[in-house]
Amino acid sequence: MRTRIAQFNPGVSSKQRKIIRRLLQLAAIGAVFVATAASAFSQQLATRQAPQTTSIPHVKCVIGLESIKPNIKGTLSLLPNGLEFATGKNRVDISTASIQDIFIGQESRQDVSGPVGTVAKAGIPYGGGRIVSLFSHNVEVLTVEYVDSNGGFHGTIFVLSPGNATVLKNQLVAQGAKVTNHVQPPPQEQKP
Amino acid sequence: MKPLTRAAFLSNFSITLSGTVLLMVASLLAQPSSLGKPGPAPQQIQKLTASAIQLERSDPPEDLLIPEDTRVATYENLILQLTKTKKFQHVYRSGDRTAASMPDLVILRLIPQAFKAGSQKQREVTTVTGATSIKVKIQFASRDGKVLREKTVEGKVRFYGENLRATYDLAKKVAAVVNETF
Repeated sequence: MRTRIAQFNPGVSSKQRKIIRRLLQLAAIGAVFVATAASAFSQQLATRQAPQTTSIPHVKCVIGLESIKPNIKGTLSLLPNGLEFATGKNRVDISTASIQDIFIGQESRQDVSGPVGTVAKAGIPYGGGRIVSLFSHNVEVLTVEYVDSNGGFHGTIFVLSPGNATVLKNQLVAQGAKVTNHVQPPPQEQKP
Repeated sequence: MKPLTRAAFLSNFSITLSGTVLLMVASLLAQPSSLGKPGPAPQQIQKLTASAIQLERSDPPEDLLIPEDTRVATYENLILQLTKTKKFQHVYRSGDRTAASMPDLVILRLIPQAFKAGSQKQREVTTVTGATSIKVKIQFASRDGKVLREKTVEGKVRFYGENLRATYDLAKKVAAVVNETF
């Protein structure tokens, strides 16, 4: 009898083991499925929230923000109540209510520029630096005019990759920023 | 070829010397007020005094289209340069309500006169074309609107640098005028 039980029990335990394995497999598949679904859902949430907190890295602030030096690169973010430009240490906000006007311009920038680039181009023999100067890329220039708490006029110029300035402007207008109708001067960099 | 005799050399030398002297005298006489009558004394510009300055925005004429980024860059560069001169206790922006309390406030207006949009690529490839330039009339005025001084200044970028560098050049030149004036 003991022997039968002993023989019977191993049979039962092997079935249980199979069931447990299947359950574990199902649980693992379910966990993977839940994890995938959760990440997809969070991405959907992030996509839905994107219009409110658009963040664009490597934006050059040419001039106009106090406590930020000219020609500094940073991250330009659209907050629910305005714009924020952040560098490593500094952070400056422009509230939507203070914005008086927004302008967008198209320009092109040299691929090799700045003091180092200029010296490098000058160092290329047989005028090769001029050929390097032919390579350029298009950028968008976002000009934001706003007033401070005393009513003083400020203007800030950002240089962004193409398309981003238009998106930001539209979102700021949707937030209630003032924009007037502009007469656009001809683009500056259309000459060959 | 025969070597020159002493007499011939002396005659040639005297002719050359007299010709040189005549040319020098003629060139000196051609310059007014350098010889003889003294010219008008250099105009002594009386310096103005003010403890505060307010930079006003002024729109360009209707027939002159200036990109808004150029106008804003001019304004902001000038604010920075005016602050750097350290001639004033306060540099006020256009529309700043706190400027109303300043007794000796000078108002600086920039009236755009001309603008030529250049091309950075053209400048760097050709070296001689594609310059960007902006010309403005700067006007120092009192609070009641009396024009105290005015001058025309031009900012340029000729060889290297982005187009907006013309506004930096302009602001530096305006700051030099401020240093002369105050």
